[in-house]
Amino acid sequence: MPELRELYDAILNGDHKTSAAVTREAIDAGIEPMELVSGYMVPAMDEVGKRFECEDYFIPELLLSARAMKAALELLRPLLAASGAKSAGRVVIGTVKGDLHDIGKNIVGAMLEGGGFEVIDLGADVAPQKFIAAIKERNPQLICLSALLTVTMPSMKTTIEAFKEAGVRDGVKVIVGGAPVTAEFAREIGADGFGENATAAVALARQLLQAA
Amino acid sequence: MSIAIRLEPLGTQVKTEPGAPLRDLLLPFGVEFPCGGKGRCRRCRVRVLEGDVDPGAGGDAADLEPGCMLACRARAAANATLEIGQFEAPILADDRPFSFEPRPGRAIAIDLGTTTVVAQLVDLATGAVLGVRTALNPQAAWGADVMTRIEHALHPEGRARLRDAIHAALDEMIASLCGNRQPDAVAICGNTAMLHLFDGLDPTPLSHAPFEPVHLESPNGFLPCIGGFVGSDILAGIVATGMHESGDLSVLIDLGTNGEVVVGNRERLLCASTAAGPAFEGGRISRGMRASTGAISEAAVEGDGIRCTVIGGGPARGICGSGLVDAVAAGLDLGRITPRGRTPQPLELADGLALTQADVRELQLAKAAIAGGVRALLHQLGAAPADVRRVWLAGAFGNYVNRASARRIGLLEFPEETVEPAGNTALLGAKIALFAPDPTFRGVRVIARHVPLGADPAFQDAYVDAMPFPDPKA
Repeated sequence: MPELRELYDAILNGDHKTSAAVTREAIDAGIEPMELVSGYMVPAMDEVGKRFECEDYFIPELLLSARAMKAALELLRPLLAASGAKSAGRVVIGTVKGDLHDIGKNIVGAMLEGGGFEVIDLGADVAPQKFIAAIKERNPQLICLSALLTVTMPSMKTTIEAFKEAGVRDGVKVIVGGAPVTAEFAREIGADGFGENATAAVALARQLLQAA
Repeated sequence: MSIAIRLEPLGTQVKTEPGAPLRDLLLPFGVEFPCGGKGRCRRCRVRVLEGDVDPGAGGDAADLEPGCMLACRARAAANATLEIGQFEAPILADDRPFSFEPRPGRAIAIDLGTTTVVAQLVDLATGAVLGVRTALNPQAAWGADVMTRIEHALHPEGRARLRDAIHAALDEMIASLCGNRQPDAVAICGNTAMLHLFDGLDPTPLSHAPFEPVHLESPNGFLPCIGGFVGSDILAGIVATGMHESGDLSVLIDLGTNGEVVVGNRERLLCASTAAGPAFEGGRISRGMRASTGAISEAAVEGDGIRCTVIGGGPARGICGSGLVDAVAAGLDLGRITPRGRTPQPLELADGLALTQADVRELQLAKAAIAGGVRALLHQLGAAPADVRRVWLAGAFGNYVNRASARRIGLLEFPEETVEPAGNTALLGAKIALFAPDPTFRGVRVIARHVPLGADPAFQDAYVDAMPFPDPKA
């Protein structure tokens, strides 16, 4: 019987080799994938988020923990799909057109994944059409838009307007984030919410999808 | 009769006699007299907050800000209060020798920085610098950083305002250097955004990915730029350091808000701009300030604590970039900051002045942008840090930063003996351009290539990898 607490520790310490090894052992021992996700992985990423909030963890630790979490998730994904386990929700995330900044968006994506969401990452410099195509094909409940420059923030507005024109805006919730973005700006451009940081984004995503 | 001169922001008072030169009074408090008290460089100006001071001959030149006078000329007259904090970053001029082809005439070399502008009048027959003027870039009124200014210039009226402001400032500097006689030539260097704002060009291409400007050249004396945010100031820096002529692999780092990095040799030069942010200039640091009176400029471990050096010797008011790098290096050596950057307790430096966890994080982001940029460019050349023979540090911060501390925090990952401060390479390069502009600069542009780091996944990895501090035990 594998020591499952090691999975929690491995994610918290950013050790992707151990997290994968423990997950493999657990699968072999016939442990339910959902038990690993909700019992160890989600709590570990919650703790990572808390440590980031209280400034114990910084960007490198966050990314290392995300990698360790993903290593475990990769192994579990086929099993989760086969068992028909329901995710907390399906999310499409991307940095808006004109902006190449990736790291903040990657962190939010990883925290959402760690929070039990299914995350489809479209990358950086994503045109509105690409978001719209993903909405039509993948049927997500939530869209996350990221921008790191004041000069690319208007691109968030353009993207949401394009959603309206394409008739897909009402079927999804849209949240925005990134260093220069404010709650006021989010309201102005007609977003459903604003995530001050990665942990706030996860909480907001849970709240919006519950209300929906 | 004895009178009292109160000095702000030091809060100290000195007793003296009417008629005593301010220079003698202020020198012990760190006010510098770079031109030797000739009333020329204006760097020693002080503001009279209260009372009367005799400006002396030429100490109240018309182009000084209201209430200001030159301390090198002025004399005490009655009880007074002076503000002696210098109002701007130390602006590096350059008077290093260079080889040139003499010809008759006088010309102007200008370093048009985002924050400061330096203009030199050069005698083309001797290469001698006949005069220097420094000023703050008046465009700063529309944003201290380049992006805010670009945003303002997206509209034609904003563009015109920014162009007119910098033209007026340069006209004034040139007129004050040359009088009625027009200069025979002008060479200006600055980053690509400055070129756009100087010529009133639409900066839209600089405001979004892929950040590829249409205009890299100007018909108005602005030297050609290399690409994206790598401008003619960097081209000038390459020419000034001679890295384009050397067979050895060398690195040029300009440590400003946009930390520009060049890596290569006479065959190939890769140039990139990294978003280092203003931490090295004291920006976004809780007690950060520019390198002026009252700033902690140096720090070192002493026993279990940290001993700080304050510019002017008075009480510490804040900390500047070089002090920040020193203090964090000392904090690491004392184990008060972990290699991951965790700072459980504020790092006490002086009475009521400490570095916080957030300050250390700011520095981590800034130094990772530079170190990650250098790593990514070396990687593209298939080279390792050990292959680098010479590292040039351009700009004021590069001049003052302690090389051992810079290595300790992982800002510079090279042995100290390979690192050399290069002064204001942009200004020296502009001066060289006055003599042999076209062939040299065009030749460098042929071998120099702009690398957009934002689009390079290897940079993102290198950036994150460079965020922790080096662990001597690892």
